Amino acid sequence: MNDLHSPPISVAEVQRLILGELSLRARVGYVALLLVALAMTTVIASLWLTEPHLPVRTQIAFAVMAGIGSSWAAYAAWVLTRRRVLLAGHRIIAARMAVAFTAVFVAGSLALGIWSSMGRPAYAAAALGAMMLIVAVAMLLSSRRRFDALMERRGALERELSQQA
Amino acid sequence: MIENDRKQDELLAIRCQLGEPSAFDALIARWHEPLWKYLRRLAGDDDAAAEAVQDVWLRILRGIARLRDGSRLRAWIFGIARRVAMDRLREKYAEPVLVSIDDRDLVGADDTSELKEDIALMHVELARLPVPEREVLVLFHLEELTLAEIAEVIGIPTGTVKSRLFRARRALRDQLVAKGMNR
Repeated sequence: MNDLHSPPISVAEVQRLILGELSLRARVGYVALLLVALAMTTVIASLWLTEPHLPVRTQIAFAVMAGIGSSWAAYAAWVLTRRRVLLAGHRIIAARMAVAFTAVFVAGSLALGIWSSMGRPAYAAAALGAMMLIVAVAMLLSSRRRFDALMERRGALERELSQQA
Repeated sequence: MIENDRKQDELLAIRCQLGEPSAFDALIARWHEPLWKYLRRLAGDDDAAAEAVQDVWLRILRGIARLRDGSRLRAWIFGIARRVAMDRLREKYAEPVLVSIDDRDLVGADDTSELKEDIALMHVELARLPVPEREVLVLFHLEELTLAEIAEVIGIPTGTVKSRLFRARRALRDQLVAKGMNR
């Protein structure tokens, strides 16, 4: 009763399909897109919020640019949670990228605030960047904990199975 | 043995959750054929089942990070397959459900051995059962899931699985008897 013919799509074909979907390069690309889009939105929002007397047209332009930046960030976040899902190993790489990128962003914003005439907007961007840095560090710690927990369980299972063998 | 299988399943799930490509290869090698057979029986034809099985694998890849208990891997995988199959059946059969019987389901058309004829007849009659009865028979007798796992896959209480299984066996037996199979 259990002898249906073999599937028309072979194991090797499915493995190729899944291997393509697992591509680390694509994931890194989307993480980079997310970070750049967030940085762009932060810079624009900082400029917008710290300049109270901007002409209406400039304010509209900032709003449009901030909208575009957040749309790209939302798109990248959707891809990373629904399509190119980040597995435990990928999450650590993504979180490290986020920590490095946001740290550079905060340092750059502070440098601009100190050594250029862009004082307030640069400090505002640095403050928003610092919040992103805190989130990135929290994500790194949490992804590290998750990875370690999985590795520990994996080790325990491998020991149990080898004892039974 | 069942405990050992569960541990193997959990280990495989964890390796996938860690993101090891070789674990996905092993997962596919282990489950592709059972999934295909299950979907083929529910879908009724090769093309629909082939499309469905690819969809199932993509959903497995995208969802495995959220699987909390790896020892439930088997029920989780068949649960995804069932949802995909049911979604597709709903789309396909806005009109009445008709199950096509592929010639290749009929084992060895020119084979005269009684056993092979019986198996062929069983395939045909199984495919003619309504989907709810067919899927419990397939999951229990062919994929060897436990009653609790089937309950999880289908999303109904274990008691309902038992009664549905009883009804399905009786319906299949009645159909086989009506076709003159009395052994």
